[in-house]
Amino acid sequence: MAEKLPSEFDVVILGTGLPEAIIAAACSRIGQRVLHIDVKNYYGGNWASFTFSGLLSWLEEYKQQPNLPEESTAWKDLLDKSEECLLLNRKDKTIQNIEVFCYVSQDSENNIEEVGALRKNPAFVTYGDSTDAQDSAEEPPCQEIHSLDTSGSEISSHPNNNTDPDTTVETGVPDVKLEMQTQSDVTSSSTPPLDTSEGDNVKLSTEETLAQKSAKRKITYSSIVKEGRKFNIDLVSKFLYSRGSLIDLLIKSNVSRYAEFKNVTRILTFQNGKVEQVPCSRADVFASKQLTMVEKRMLMKFLTFCLDYEQKAEEYQDYKDCAFSEYLKTKKLTPSLQHFILHAIAMVSETASTIDGLRATQHFLQSLGRYGNTPFLFPLYGLGEIPQCFCRMCAVFGGIYCLRHSVQCLVVDKESSRCKAVIDSLGQRITCSYFIVEDSYLSEETCNNVCYRQISRAVLITDRSVLKSDSDQQVSILTVPPMELGEPTVSVIELCSSTMTCKRDTYLVHLTCVSARTAKEDLEPVVQKLFMPYAETEIESEQENELEKPQIFWALYFNMRDSTGIDRSSYEGLPSNVYVCSGPDPHLGNEHAVKQVSRVHFNQLFPKEEFCPPAPNPEDIVYDVDDTQLQDAGFTSSSEIKAEAAAAEQSVGKALMAETLQPKLGKVKMARPVLGKVKMARPMLGKVESKSKDQICTLLST
Amino acid sequence: MAGVESPERREHLFKVLVIGDLGVGKTSIIKRYVHQLFSQHYRATIGVDFALKVIHWDRRTLVRLQLWDIAGQERFGNMTRVYYKEALGAFVVFDVSRSSTFEAVSKWKHDLDSKVHLPNGGPIPAILLANKCDQNKETSRQTHSHLDQFCKESGFVGWFETSAKDNINIDEAARSLVEHILSNYKSFHAEENDVGTVKLDQAALQAESKSQCC
Repeated sequence: MAEKLPSEFDVVILGTGLPEAIIAAACSRIGQRVLHIDVKNYYGGNWASFTFSGLLSWLEEYKQQPNLPEESTAWKDLLDKSEECLLLNRKDKTIQNIEVFCYVSQDSENNIEEVGALRKNPAFVTYGDSTDAQDSAEEPPCQEIHSLDTSGSEISSHPNNNTDPDTTVETGVPDVKLEMQTQSDVTSSSTPPLDTSEGDNVKLSTEETLAQKSAKRKITYSSIVKEGRKFNIDLVSKFLYSRGSLIDLLIKSNVSRYAEFKNVTRILTFQNGKVEQVPCSRADVFASKQLTMVEKRMLMKFLTFCLDYEQKAEEYQDYKDCAFSEYLKTKKLTPSLQHFILHAIAMVSETASTIDGLRATQHFLQSLGRYGNTPFLFPLYGLGEIPQCFCRMCAVFGGIYCLRHSVQCLVVDKESSRCKAVIDSLGQRITCSYFIVEDSYLSEETCNNVCYRQISRAVLITDRSVLKSDSDQQVSILTVPPMELGEPTVSVIELCSSTMTCKRDTYLVHLTCVSARTAKEDLEPVVQKLFMPYAETEIESEQENELEKPQIFWALYFNMRDSTGIDRSSYEGLPSNVYVCSGPDPHLGNEHAVKQVSRVHFNQLFPKEEFCPPAPNPEDIVYDVDDTQLQDAGFTSSSEIKAEAAAAEQSVGKALMAETLQPKLGKVKMARPVLGKVKMARPMLGKVESKSKDQICTLLST
Repeated sequence: MAGVESPERREHLFKVLVIGDLGVGKTSIIKRYVHQLFSQHYRATIGVDFALKVIHWDRRTLVRLQLWDIAGQERFGNMTRVYYKEALGAFVVFDVSRSSTFEAVSKWKHDLDSKVHLPNGGPIPAILLANKCDQNKETSRQTHSHLDQFCKESGFVGWFETSAKDNINIDEAARSLVEHILSNYKSFHAEENDVGTVKLDQAALQAESKSQCC
């Protein structure tokens, strides 16, 4: 594994966030030799998602100075007289004001760990407290509310902080949780696990077992840690518009084969202190009990107008320069409807212009009904999957990946002022024609004149939904308008366990807004309105209303730097063949990331090439004997394999593309299923197709 | 995981991973198994996610095996979760003529177990392949018992000496892995939880564009 990287590439990309991943796939797809690296030991940068323990390690990383690998300075010798170097940043400063709160107790359990598999004897696992002494999985049990910031105050009193990034992020081992229904069948649940060789802490008292059985909803910090792998907690919280540019790109490029999605099931709004569901499809509108018959007609009429508002300029001509909220007042809509449209459908601020409001409403309506009842999709396992999908596509087409690896400096040719090579963290010189880099890797000198905005984020683990319904598996978005003028509008996304982002009987709630102050200052008022801290003892029924509020088990606040909207000219001294990708923006969709790389970067880099053409289906690729004889690289000599394989990939790679990438359709069809029932145009990950076709489209326009 | 029940026949689609160091013969094994081809000429795997093998397992069972090659380019050990996701079995391959590739086996197995597991939480069945056995004159008894022991300790369900070149034991190894997958499948297939998930694909898109009116 500790091989040296090849020393020549066409494109070197630093950072594995969504924009970088997309451009990596796009470049690799047209035959460019791509090196894609990230200084972190995980994919995604600030777009990553983490298991619970992974998130805690991430927090630790910001608390402590990360142990950066020693960087060799021998690179100075690698520079020529005609070259100068441009140093990159060594410390990530994009996350600030981290504060963590834990509301569940864990007194009885001192040594909690994410449950792992029995590595030596995978024979049998039981539900219970079989805690492997898995060094990597230890989690800090916080005894009381702790807060920390990047200056280094305590996150917890945990004695054994593991800082080896290799073992902390994905802690290694499968869950041993059995489903609740089967739990009763496991008679051995009170007997010690078969393998005790690693479990020095396996003390499972009968009382505990009984307690677990009787109160199955009882959540403790240790149960969150133990089932930490059921969580996939995103650093940024976004949905995909069903007709947005990211969905279009996923489909066009066939990268969609790597991902699955859940429909967002509810649009919610917060009005007069209450959470309500917003009717947005025709079916919803007519089924709604909150709206009067007259209101239903008004709403339908207005939404129908918005669908093709451009054609009816006379309807809004006079209000073009007004705020959308003012315009709505003129449209014979009740205050409640105005609220729905402004905050839950258009999702624009009170001050947004009429045109912006109409456009946003139209975007929402156009996405409606493509896959479900709301205009949004959410990726299973979290948004952090999406950059990885593009990385996989890049790798499949020859891109080379290396995490925990960085670039110390760029080698700039003095005469042409172009970047001709980079020096990596091991001091190796790697030539490249283009260098693409995420903003946070640029040095302070380069960003001297750059003015960043901030995003405020909160992540909560709660016990129930903010709005009760028949199903406990709802994916909802709630827009909370500012309570006072000048405060930010807060977007609240609530995910259920079937999105594979949280464990059963919990909800994962993401709050996001454009920062006015610190994340906690911005978001805590909303959190207090919608949620309450977990109370150990059940509150009696006299406070029934209060009980309706979800309880918070665990909460995290942080600010993330928003590097979108920066003009290239603000960066100082960047060579012309260096392209900068921004981090995540605070908005709900992913339009910015996609447009930035497809319309700007890729167009400048390769104006004549197609952006992310569809990858052939694996089923349609036919291997020919002739194909394999096109080249002659070492197969047997082990010492040569590395070098030659790398060389073969690169030198022959392009020539081969033409040969291999054109699927030879129809030559030898791979055996298709003969059984009539299964339609598997794209057999993916064992899932049977056709689900999306069952989705009933309730289009407004029909 | 994916099974379609008809009164008489069953069809399964299983994702199987083929992992191991660079140059151990992963692609050769897949090509031999799926396409009955072997070439001395090495080529890094470009543009292919997986190869599909259809097995008429018995009169009532059809198994479609997706063999996922690691893109040789992910050789620096940083596989995306996309690769591991929802796999039901794995081959871990090493080259008998290069001991360093055997030393890497434990690392690959550990990575595998950390990134993917069965719905019941257990590790997915993995078979160790000692490939290029045509290059080793004979395997000693000692090696045999050593590998038996190693598999036990590392949680492999078995091992095979294979040669993609001479087509030795590849079908047997695959058969053994499928048996393990099928027996796992019987015990947990009821737990499927993919109700309401959405796959995006172009076929659906075309169908949609015909039926849409907006």
